[in-house]
Amino acid sequence: MGTFLKIALKNLLKGPSTDKYPFGETFVPEKLRGKIKHDPEKCIACHMCEHVCAGGAIRLREAKDGSGADFVVWHNSCAFCGLCEHYCPTGAIHLTNDYHTAHLEKDKFSYVERTFVKYKPCSVCGQPFIPLIPQLEEVVYGEHGDKKGLSTMCEKCRRKAVWKDGVFK
Amino acid sequence: MGDLIKNIVKKSPWIYRINAGSCNGCDVEMATTALIPRYDVERLGCKYCGSPKHADIVLISGPITAVVKEKVLRVYDEIPDPKVVVAVGICPISGGVFRDSYAIEMPLDGYIPVDVNVPGCPPRPQAIIDGVAKAIEIWKTKL
Repeated sequence: MGTFLKIALKNLLKGPSTDKYPFGETFVPEKLRGKIKHDPEKCIACHMCEHVCAGGAIRLREAKDGSGADFVVWHNSCAFCGLCEHYCPTGAIHLTNDYHTAHLEKDKFSYVERTFVKYKPCSVCGQPFIPLIPQLEEVVYGEHGDKKGLSTMCEKCRRKAVWKDGVFK
Repeated sequence: MGDLIKNIVKKSPWIYRINAGSCNGCDVEMATTALIPRYDVERLGCKYCGSPKHADIVLISGPITAVVKEKVLRVYDEIPDPKVVVAVGICPISGGVFRDSYAIEMPLDGYIPVDVNVPGCPPRPQAIIDGVAKAIEIWKTKL
């Protein structure tokens, strides 16, 4: 009887255990997988996220004028599994801990994250191409970095520049 | 008298839950929003009911499988007007990971007028409460 009274009194002083949401704040874990955030500055348009997406929510298509690529995530098809973040080679995709997903029916098809990955013009011929981000430069060109300036050229010009001096030099 | 009843009814919409071939993930989340004291949806005046004839707000989960489609429509017809439909999870909204399968008849809004969408796989209990709160606002205007 004494123990019971002690617990009852303790619980009485603690107050209700009900989460205050929607009238107040709630606890949100830091690693909660919520809405997707895409950083077009880091994106290299490799289509890996589109390939691994379980719900087919991601679409990456080249713009009609060839000046860049449209990146679209339709949150109404996204399973928030985090595969895109896991497989993204440059860390351009991040699942934020924003879980406020409820919306009205009229917003159904506009409930998207849309960004534009802009291509850079080639330093030799001026043709737009997918730029290499600085994080990947060391991976591609080794610790000495890009000495020949290859990372600013499009594929064709790059091939020509490499062949000019010979591949093995 | 009619106005008085309307004002009273506005404060307590009853919730009904239809599982249209769901994997039970969303159903578990829906049950936790209402049944456990931690996320208590009854603070909004809601109450889960067992019969579609008592319901005001319908929560539908699952990708509407070919077998269950007719049954869902039959149960939906039994719910008295006005009613508000909330699609919970990505399956009823877009088919989710099951999209383009031969066994499912998604999306839900092809058959039933949906009012609120709560995407997630499954959505957080707080997100479902958000959806229910939005549904209550719509339901008040429909009365």
